[in-house]
Amino acid sequence: MKKFQKSFFGALFLSLTFTFFSQLNAQQISGMVMDEDSNPIPGVTVIVEKTNEGSITDFDGNFKVNANQGDILVFSYIGYATIRKEVSNSDLSIIMSVSNTQLDEIVITGLGTSVKRSNLANAVGTVSSEELVGKTNQSTIDGALYGKVTGVNITSSSGAPGGGFALRLRGISSINGNNQPLYIIDGVYLNNAEIPSGLRFASGANRGNEENAPNSLADIDPSDIENIEVLKGASAAAIYGTRANAGVVIITTKRGKEGKTLINFNQSVGFNTILKKIGMRPWTSASVTDAFGSAEAQLFNQAVNSPTGLIDYEDLIYGEQGLVTDSKISASGGNEKTKFFIGTSYRDEDGIIKNTGFDRFSIRANIDYEISDTFDLSLSSNFTQSESRRSFTGNENEGGLSYGYTLAFTRPWINLNPDSTGTYPNNPNYSGNPVFVRDKAINDNNNNRFIQSAKLTTKLYDGEKDRVRMIWNGGIDFLANETYVYVPESHQAQNGADNGFIGVGKNNFKNYNFMGIAVWNRDALSGDLALTTQAGISNLIKDTDLIFNQATQLIPGQTTLGQGSAQSISQTQSLIKEFGYFGQIEGNYKDQFIGTAGYRVDKSNLNGDPNKFYGFPKASLAINLQNFDWWNFSKIDQFKLRAAYGETGSSASFGSVFTSLNQISIGGVGGSTIASLKGDKDIEPETSKEFEAGIDFRLINKIGVQLSFYDRNVKDLILSRTLPTSSGFGTETTNLADLKNSGIELGINIDAINNNSFSWNSGVQFWFNRSEVTRLGVPAFPQPGAGFGLGLGTFYIQEGQPVTQLVGNVNGTPTQIGDVEPDFQMSFNNQFSIGKNLELSFLIHWKEGGENINLSRLLTDLGGVSPDLDTPEGSTRSGLGFVAERFIEPASYMRLREAAIYYTLPVNSLSWISNDISSVRIGLSGRNLITVTDYSSYDPETSTNGGSGLSSGIEVTPFPTSKQYMFNLNVKF
Amino acid sequence: MNFFNKQKQNIKRIAFLFTGLAFIACTFDDESDPNRPSLEGVLSEATVNQLNNLVVGVEATMRAGKAGQTTGSGTMARELYLFDADPRNTGDLLGANGAVLDNNSFYSSSPWRSRYLAIKNANILLEAINNTDAITSSQKAGYSGFAKTIIAHELIDVVKSFGKARVDVSDPSNLGAILNENEAYSAIDTMLDQAASDLNIAGGSFAFPLAGFNGFDSPSDFLKFNKALKAKVALYSGDMAKCLSALSESFLDLNGDLSIGPKHVFSLGSGDQTNGLYKIIDNNGDQIIVHNSFINDAETGDLRVNNKTVIRSNPTGQDDLSGSHQTALYVTNVSSIDIIRNEELVLIYAEAKILSDPSEAENAINIIRASAGLASYNGLTSQAALTTELLHQRRYSLWCENHRMYDLRRYNLSSTLPIDRPGDQVFNQFPVPLTENE
Repeated sequence: MKKFQKSFFGALFLSLTFTFFSQLNAQQISGMVMDEDSNPIPGVTVIVEKTNEGSITDFDGNFKVNANQGDILVFSYIGYATIRKEVSNSDLSIIMSVSNTQLDEIVITGLGTSVKRSNLANAVGTVSSEELVGKTNQSTIDGALYGKVTGVNITSSSGAPGGGFALRLRGISSINGNNQPLYIIDGVYLNNAEIPSGLRFASGANRGNEENAPNSLADIDPSDIENIEVLKGASAAAIYGTRANAGVVIITTKRGKEGKTLINFNQSVGFNTILKKIGMRPWTSASVTDAFGSAEAQLFNQAVNSPTGLIDYEDLIYGEQGLVTDSKISASGGNEKTKFFIGTSYRDEDGIIKNTGFDRFSIRANIDYEISDTFDLSLSSNFTQSESRRSFTGNENEGGLSYGYTLAFTRPWINLNPDSTGTYPNNPNYSGNPVFVRDKAINDNNNNRFIQSAKLTTKLYDGEKDRVRMIWNGGIDFLANETYVYVPESHQAQNGADNGFIGVGKNNFKNYNFMGIAVWNRDALSGDLALTTQAGISNLIKDTDLIFNQATQLIPGQTTLGQGSAQSISQTQSLIKEFGYFGQIEGNYKDQFIGTAGYRVDKSNLNGDPNKFYGFPKASLAINLQNFDWWNFSKIDQFKLRAAYGETGSSASFGSVFTSLNQISIGGVGGSTIASLKGDKDIEPETSKEFEAGIDFRLINKIGVQLSFYDRNVKDLILSRTLPTSSGFGTETTNLADLKNSGIELGINIDAINNNSFSWNSGVQFWFNRSEVTRLGVPAFPQPGAGFGLGLGTFYIQEGQPVTQLVGNVNGTPTQIGDVEPDFQMSFNNQFSIGKNLELSFLIHWKEGGENINLSRLLTDLGGVSPDLDTPEGSTRSGLGFVAERFIEPASYMRLREAAIYYTLPVNSLSWISNDISSVRIGLSGRNLITVTDYSSYDPETSTNGGSGLSSGIEVTPFPTSKQYMFNLNVKF
Repeated sequence: MNFFNKQKQNIKRIAFLFTGLAFIACTFDDESDPNRPSLEGVLSEATVNQLNNLVVGVEATMRAGKAGQTTGSGTMARELYLFDADPRNTGDLLGANGAVLDNNSFYSSSPWRSRYLAIKNANILLEAINNTDAITSSQKAGYSGFAKTIIAHELIDVVKSFGKARVDVSDPSNLGAILNENEAYSAIDTMLDQAASDLNIAGGSFAFPLAGFNGFDSPSDFLKFNKALKAKVALYSGDMAKCLSALSESFLDLNGDLSIGPKHVFSLGSGDQTNGLYKIIDNNGDQIIVHNSFINDAETGDLRVNNKTVIRSNPTGQDDLSGSHQTALYVTNVSSIDIIRNEELVLIYAEAKILSDPSEAENAINIIRASAGLASYNGLTSQAALTTELLHQRRYSLWCENHRMYDLRRYNLSSTLPIDRPGDQVFNQFPVPLTENE
C-alpha cells in the first residue's frame, strides 16, 4: 500500500506540474465564427483537438477558449462543414460553409443515443424536412415518402382526399398480420389504424377493409416534421422488439433553437384534378343495338338528338377541380435554457368528386427546457382535428353506392340528373343513381386527436471519462374517432327494403407508451474507444373501444339514429399490453471500427402465453476505412464496410387466442352461434431475422454511394387458413409458415455542380425485393380477403413461390398468372439552383414490373361501357368469359411525382412592408403531374382491401387518383 | 481518497439504477375475450339459459345462406336468373363461354359453409347437454331430438346441392369422410331414427322455445316434422314403402291446409336477418327474374304463376339475358320461408304412389292442381306420363325453393333444360368447396 500511494502521488504531482506548465503557455484565444453571408453563427462547438478544452459560440458568434500556440481548434456545427484551424496570435475569424456531405449528420436509432451517419452500420433511410415537404405541399406523411427512401414500396390504396397508403419496407413482412411499419413520433407509438365506418352494411361490401377508410396517419401535418428515419429491417429495428417486423419509421418534429425568434408563414393554394380519365365508349346506333337491343337504341337516338346529348358520367362524377388551401404559421426560438417551436396549420382540400374532401386543423407546441445542469425536459404536444369525406367507392354488392361500380352499368343516354322538382330518377340499369349518391349520401370520418410526448433526461454523473444519464420518455396518443354514414331512404336500393341507412361509429383509441433508459458513456483506452452502454424497459398499452350503431327503416328525411325503427349496435373492445427489457453496447474505436451488440426481450398479452418472454438479439459492425492511418486515397472521402444482423417480432392480432360465440337472434329472442374464427391457445409471435451488408463510399466530396444487400427470414408466420367449412369454422389462425425476402438497395447522390451561379444536385435510387414462401405447413391456399376466388384471380400462398404471386384457375388448375412485386424501382431526384434566387426541382419515380388484377374492367365489360369494346382487342377480351388471365394487367409506371420552381425575392425587396421580413419565397409546384403507363384503369397503384395485409394490386372501382397543382408563398420573419 | 470514494459511490448509484430498472415488471393475466362468451364456457356445466341460447343459434343459422343457395340452384335449373352486382350469377352458373363451376367461388363455398354452420351449432348443443347437470333426462332427450333432426335436415340440403356430404363433423380436427349420396342418405335416416326415439321420451314439452315452429314445438308435434324429413329422404333414396310409412306419421293432410308447416322467420330486430329472397318490385341491379320458360310452359290459368311472379313494368336484361317477369314470391323483406309444408308432403305422397297405386297418385296430383286453379289431370296414366305431370307440378308448386335442380338431377332430366345463349351449359351439381381438401 505504501509503495502504491507513493507512486500514485508521484504521478499525480507530475501530471499536475505538466498541466501547470502547459497552462503557462496557454492563452485565451478568441474569435468569431460567421457563415458565408457574414452572419454570425451561434452554438458552434469549438474544441481544442486532443484535449477536453472547448467552448461554444455565443449569440454574436464570438468564442473564447484556452489553447496553446500550435494547437488545432476544431469548429463543428450541424449542417456545416467542420473546420480545423491552427491557433495563431491574433483573433480568429472563421467562415463556415454549408456542408452538403451528410457524413456528420446525426441519425437517431431509436434508443437513448444517436449515431453519426458516417458510423452507422445499417442503411437507415433518412428524409429531411426539406426533402419531405420542401418541394411541394404534401397532404399526409406516408404519401410524402415516395421515391425518397430505397427499399420502400409505397402503394396508394385510394385516390380519396386524405390518402391511404400501404408502405412495405423490404417486402411483405406478414401475410395476415401487420405489414405497415411501426410509426413513432417524438417517442410516442403512433396509431395508424384504418378505421372502417360500417358502410359495408349499406353497400354489401364483404369486409371492413373494403370500405376505403382513411388512415389515421393523415392527422399529422407533414410540415411539423424535422426529419424521418426509416429503419427498414430487423437489423436496424431489433431494439423495438415485438412490434418491429415491418420496420420502424421514427419521426422527429421540429424544435426550437437558441437565438432570435423565427416566424415562418406558409400559404399554399392550388387544385386537385383527375390524373387520368378512362373515357367514354364511342357509341353509335349500331353498337348500341348490338349491345343492348333496339329498344335501347331508340333511347340512344332520342338522347343524341336532345339538347343534353350523351352525358359523360365519368366527367360528371370525377371531373371536379378540387380547391386546396393550406396555411401554416410557426414560431421558433429560445434562449440558453428554453427553446420552443409552436406551429399551427389548417389544410382544406376538396376532392375530384363533389362533396368529398379532407380538412385538418393542427396545433403544436414543442418545448425544450433545461431545468438545471442535471435535468432536461422536452415536451411535445399536438392537437389535431380532421375530417375526411370520402363518399362511396370500391367494392360492393347491390348497394348502388360505389361510383365506379355504378358507372360501369350506367349508360350515357340515360339522364340521371335531378328534374326540376329535385327528384332523382332511378337508374334503369343498376341499383343506384350516382348523381343522387354524390349529392345526398354521406360518408364522413372525424378525428379529434391529441398526442403528447414528454422526455426527461437526467444527467446522473458527468465525469472525465464517464457520463451517465437516465432518459424517461413516454407519451399518449389519444384518438376519438367518429364515423357517419348516411344513405337516404329514397335511394333506389333502399326504397322498399332497408329504407335508409345510418351508421354511426364512435371509436376511442388510447395508446400509452413509456420507456426508461439508462445510458452510460465511457471513454476507454484514453479516448480511442468510446463505449456506450444502455439498458432500459419499455411498456405499451393500447386500449381500444369500438362502438358501431346502425339504424335502418328511417322516418323519411331524418338523419339521426333514433329515427330508425330497426336498430342494431355492436361493440368491440380490446386491451393490448406489452412489456420488454432491452440493452445494447456500442463501441467506437477511433471512428474506425464501430460495433454494437444488443438484446431485447418482450412479452405481450397477444401471445398464447402472455407472460412468456421472447428474445430479439442484434449485432452490427461498421468499418470506416478512410479513418485508418494508412489510408491515403484523398479522392475517396469515405469508404465504409458494414454488416448487421437483427431479429424482431410481430404478435398475433387481438382475439386470435379465443374461440367465441357470436350474438344472433330469431323471433325476437337472442342467442349464440359459433364464430367463424377458431382460436389458438398456443399462438406465438412471428419473428423476422435479417442480415444486412453494405458498402458506403464517397468520392471527391461530390459523389456518395450507398449499396446494401439484405436477406430477411420471417418464421412462424401467423396464417389464417380457411378450414374445411364442414367443421363449422371458417378460418383458424396459427403459426404455419416461413417467408423470405431478399433484395438490393442502391443510392447514389451527386453534387454535380456547386458554384454561386449554378448548382445541381442529383440523386438516383434503385432497389428491388424478391420474396418466397419457404415453408408452408398446410396445402397451398388462396389467401382469404385478398382476392375474390381463384376464378377471378387471388393472392395464393404456396410453398416455393413468391408471397406476392397472383394465381387463378387456368383449365381448372390453380396457376400463377402474375406477381404484384415490381421487378425493380428507381427514383430520380434533381435539384437545380440558378443564380441566387431561382430553384428548380423534380422527382421522378419509376416502378417496373408487377401486375395488377383489374376487376373494374370486368364490371365495365359486363355493363358494356368499356371504351375499347368496339376494337378487336376489346371484343375478344369480353368474349373470354370469366378466366383469371383476362384480368391480369402489367402495372409498371413512370411518374413525375413532384416538381417545383421557386423564386426567392431579393433580400430587402419587401422591406417597405416590414423590416422584420427576412425572406420571401414564391413558387409553383405539383404532385403526380405526369404518369406514363400501359395500365388501362385510373392508376396502377390501387388496392381494394386498404393498406394492411396482402392488399395492393387488386382493383375494384377505386377512387381515382388526382394530380395537384399548387402555388406556394413562404415568408420568414 | 475522497475522489475514489466518490467514484465508487457513483458507480454504486449507477449499478443500483440499472438493477432497479430490472425489477420494474408486470405480470399479465390470461386474457378472456372481452367482447363475447367463449365456447369453453358452454361446453361444461352449461345452464338452461346457455343451452337455449344455442337452440336460438341453431334455428337462426338454419336460414344462413338460404337466398344464395336457392338462387344458385335456381339459376342452374333455369327457373330464374339473379341480376345483381356479381357477374358470376349470369356467367359461371349458366356455363357461359365454356365456364366451369369454380370450387372456390361464393356459389359453391357459401351454401356448404352455411349449412355446416347450423350443423356445428347443433353439434355444440349436443356436446353441451352431455356435459351438464342442469337438465333432466327428458329435457335432455328433447334437446337431443331437436338437434339431431335439424342436423339431418341440413345434411339433406347439402346432398341436394352437392351430391355428397360429410356426415361426421363434430370433431373439427378429425372430420369424417365425405360420403356419396346413398351413404349420406343412409346415415341421415339413422340419425332421424335416433332423434325420433329421443323425441318419444322427451315428455310433453321442450325446455326451449322455437320461433318458426308454431304447431310443431312440442316433442310429439316436432316428431311429425321428423317423420316428414324421413319420408323425404326415403323418397330420394327410392324406398317408397318406407316413404309412405313415414308420411303416415308425419303432418301430411291430404284435405288440409297446404301451407301448414314449420318456417324460417325473419325480422328487423337487432341481430336478426331479413328474407334475402325478397326483392323490391321493379328494382334494377338486384332482381330475381323469372325464366321465361316458367311463364311459357305454364298451363293457362295456373294461379301459381300469378301468385309467385309479377310482370316488370320496365323490361330488364343483363349479360344478354332477359325476362318479362320478376319474383313476387315473398311480399315483404320479413316474409317467412317454408322449411317444409303440407303441399310438398302431398307431392311426395303422389310421387311415392306412382308405381304402387297410380290412381291414388293422380288423386294427390289433382289436389295440387285444384289448389292452383287448374282442372283435374286428364292425361295418360302411364308411369312415365304421371312422373312428367308430377315433376311439372313440383316445378310450379316449389318454384324458387331449391327443388328444381335436384328434381331434374335425380330423374336424369337435366339435359332437357333450355340453353339461353349459344355456348351456355347446364350444370346440375355444385362442386365440393376447395377448402374441403377432397
